Amino acid sequence: MTNLRELSWSLIVIWVSLIAVGLVAIYSATQGPVAEFLPEYIQINFYKQLIAFGIAILLLIGLQFLNPRTFQEGSYFFYGIGIVLMILTLLFGKEVNGAKSWLAIGPFNLQTSELMKIATVLAVANYLTSRRNISAENIKSALTTVLLILVPTVLVILQNDTGTAIIFASLIPVILFWSGLPYGISLFIISPAVISYLTIISWYWGLIAAVILTLLIFMLQRRTWLTFASFVTGIIIVIGIQVSLSQVLQPHQRARIEAFTNPSFDPQGAGWNVIQAKTAIGSGGLYGKGFMEGTQTQLRFLPEQWTDFIFCVIGEEFGFIGASFVILLLLALSIRLLKAASAHKHPFAQLVIIGVTTIYFMHFFINVGSATALLPVIGVPLPFISYGGSALITNTIMLGICLNLDFYKRQFSIYR
Amino acid sequence: MQYRKKNRSQISIRVLQVGIIILGLIMLGRLVQLQIIQHDRYGPLSRENSLRQEIVNPARGLIYDRHGNLLVDNEPIYTITITPASYKEKNTPLLADLLNMSVEDVKKRVKETQAYSWYRSSRLFTEVDFRTFSIIQENIWRLPGIGHQVESKREYPVDSLNASHILGYLREVSKEEYLGTKNYHLGDKTGKSGLEMVYEDQLRGELGTKYIKINAMGQNLGPYRNGAIDEAPNKGADLLTTIDTQLQLLAEDLLQDKVGAAVALDPNSGEVLALASAPSYDIRKLSGRIDSTYWVNINADTTNPLYNRAISSSQPPGSTFKPLMALMGLNMGIINPDTKIENPGYYQRGRRYNDLADPGTYDVGKALQESSNTFFFWLMDKIATTKGINRWHDLASSLGLGQRNGIDLPNETRGTLPDSSYLDRVLGEGKWGIGDQLSLGVGQGFLGASPLQMALVASQIGNGGYRVQPHLVSAISKSNGKELRTAPQKKEIKWLSKQSLNTVKKGMRRVVTNGGASTFANLDSIKVAGKTGTAQNPHGQDHGWFISFAPMDDPKIAVAVLVENGGYGSVSAAPIASLMIEQYLTGELNRPYVYNYVKTFEPRKQTTDEEPEEIETDD
Repeated sequence: MTNLRELSWSLIVIWVSLIAVGLVAIYSATQGPVAEFLPEYIQINFYKQLIAFGIAILLLIGLQFLNPRTFQEGSYFFYGIGIVLMILTLLFGKEVNGAKSWLAIGPFNLQTSELMKIATVLAVANYLTSRRNISAENIKSALTTVLLILVPTVLVILQNDTGTAIIFASLIPVILFWSGLPYGISLFIISPAVISYLTIISWYWGLIAAVILTLLIFMLQRRTWLTFASFVTGIIIVIGIQVSLSQVLQPHQRARIEAFTNPSFDPQGAGWNVIQAKTAIGSGGLYGKGFMEGTQTQLRFLPEQWTDFIFCVIGEEFGFIGASFVILLLLALSIRLLKAASAHKHPFAQLVIIGVTTIYFMHFFINVGSATALLPVIGVPLPFISYGGSALITNTIMLGICLNLDFYKRQFSIYR
Repeated sequence: MQYRKKNRSQISIRVLQVGIIILGLIMLGRLVQLQIIQHDRYGPLSRENSLRQEIVNPARGLIYDRHGNLLVDNEPIYTITITPASYKEKNTPLLADLLNMSVEDVKKRVKETQAYSWYRSSRLFTEVDFRTFSIIQENIWRLPGIGHQVESKREYPVDSLNASHILGYLREVSKEEYLGTKNYHLGDKTGKSGLEMVYEDQLRGELGTKYIKINAMGQNLGPYRNGAIDEAPNKGADLLTTIDTQLQLLAEDLLQDKVGAAVALDPNSGEVLALASAPSYDIRKLSGRIDSTYWVNINADTTNPLYNRAISSSQPPGSTFKPLMALMGLNMGIINPDTKIENPGYYQRGRRYNDLADPGTYDVGKALQESSNTFFFWLMDKIATTKGINRWHDLASSLGLGQRNGIDLPNETRGTLPDSSYLDRVLGEGKWGIGDQLSLGVGQGFLGASPLQMALVASQIGNGGYRVQPHLVSAISKSNGKELRTAPQKKEIKWLSKQSLNTVKKGMRRVVTNGGASTFANLDSIKVAGKTGTAQNPHGQDHGWFISFAPMDDPKIAVAVLVENGGYGSVSAAPIASLMIEQYLTGELNRPYVYNYVKTFEPRKQTTDEEPEEIETDD
């Protein structure tokens, strides 16, 4: 081992801070006065999270003793195991909150899609850096990359876990972009998401976005076919979403969209979560109501307040100070990881760190976006903060790998 | 190539960094918007979320008699409520079991509440016993949609006292009432008759509010900040009335099984000592949960028990009007105490008006004692021809006839005191003459007065000619300790001279000592003055009247009694008034035969339409 000072201590400090904030919030959300409304198996969540933290510490330390090449060499193997586990989950898994994403292995319940995130990132990074001539500029290798990501994405969709599927899918544009996909095409790939989002709010916003994005794509890459494709796609998305909102979607799906655009339409039903979440955060004010003093939290107005809506607990009890601290911590984590990626000389390490950062950030953005009603409610946990052993351990393993790659960057790059 | 790649990755890093920072700023901006800019909106929203405001009904004011005895009290009643939308029908057997009722009964009642409102909480069962109430309370968590509340109903601590026409009853507010004012909510009760109605604003008190913490499931988690911001209800004001409970009990007892009314006043102040109307309704049956068959029955009853005859019924006063006639004659200068006329046994004016009094020479004193119609026909003739009916009307109205006297009870009648425009209206202009006016002189014809009005006439003669205001409430005692006293002033009636009053009082005394009322109204210990009367009733048996005051020289009580279809006032009304006077002034009844006579009184068939002179009773 080289000098321990080479270890990215700032990342470790951020990691510990996030988990600490999470433990405080989980404690308040399950052990406070609210406990009397919660079943016992939820009341013990705090202690389960503490145990997961202990395991995570051991894993984080343990990972530092591995040779960074191990991750590259084992990546396809991990990917294969992951796919098998996901299929097993689909067949024999346990359903929780409508999503069949849990596999019982002995005494442990494993959320296999969590582990699959690591495997996918490693496999894609390995594939894209395995030979010199492979890059996203090459259409065949780009499609292979997309396929590698789409397989777990489809499996997650089959498990009925939309949130995680979106996380997987978001890897596609980022990885391709990093691997050399032209800027115009990269923008073209993410443009549907932006146009869809704005169309849901209002169709003309979607239309304006389609026009502006087309102009940007034309400026970045003066290809007539691309510009044309971008414009046509944009228009199709705007029309398609309008039609599906009124015709295609099932009532419960439409309710969720309506709850986002107009929560007061059905305050006791689909709009409930949105209204209660906003009320919790908004009523926190600048300093918050205090630890275990949040009425929205303690009187159980928030659903899933130890996982998907944990940000509301922080916002209500610790106010703007606490909530913005969490946002700054997560932003610092993302920026610091990006810095580590850019400082690394090895493309595999770069891709792995970029992939991990994408996964963290998407979780973070979707979770906070849902809680603050910037986005429709999509159930994903807040990294390191939400309750959930699998997620905490997976996230920690990913961080451990990034730390390892960063730690050994000199030795690792020599092989290059 | 290598250079290009390096350059490209630097740019890519920048792009990703900028993207992350932009999205991060959007999130921070959203936090600023929600937590700082819109905090004023969400703060109250979260408080409303977690708090439920509950109305706390104030205790209704109590009612006391003149000696401080409690007449009207409150009693807690226990109510089970239901919000049909949150109620689960599968719980009905459990609920029925806890209530100790049949499943069918509960189902039926639940259906009724559903028909009323699906979302509003309504009363499922009221007046359940405390044990059942406690059982429901313990099991409330198993019964979503079921609630409980403690309400109160009126309770009447003096056992046999009814006083239903004085006290009145409460009913649930109507839709107009609870929508029209913010003082009422659905299901609140308000006074619908009697003092409960007139003093509703004072008795009601002010609603309080209680803040209760609730969770998202609507469960009650106890008081918010230990009740620091709760507003306690203000108890309603208590009413101190002028009622003498013993006298009221006696009046009700004596009128039992009769149709009629009795009013006893303090002649010097107008305080109502007793006021009874028969038949009456059982005030206890209209308290709390209303017995609907009983309610239908009393409304359908042809004798109309809800009708307060003491102040609402208007009957010709008959000969009880004669003392007032005498006063008018004396003060107008038409007669003096010694003016004598010959009575041939009738009065001739166009036709013959019969008189049951013995023929002979009459002065005003004898005319009162014997209740001679001839004397008062003659007097009325003089008044009508020399002074006019309007002068007569004005003098009579100054004693409270033909107008409301402002007693603090609803539905007081004006009675009827004709003047020329009245006769013009009823008979047609120019189509009425002396014949229509003569009968007024003996208290018949168009004249109509309530027992209250006649009690006032007696009071004002007895007290030496002072106008008094009849009232039941002497003071309103507010919950903050302040007491409002009602102090109606007595006003001298200018046209009455002391001399004429003395003449008439002596005449009324003679009625009791030697005249028609001597059998039942003459007391050894007290100098009672009075006048009997019989109101002609075209629909059946005549109505008996008696007005009186005692002691004659310094009266403490004035009583008017009307017994409908009782025949002669001397046999029907006079004994009742006399017993009331005896009770009030001596505190006891020493004439069991009179009491028994009244209790077993059966009006006899009687055919004449004039006041009899002599009373044939076997005493």
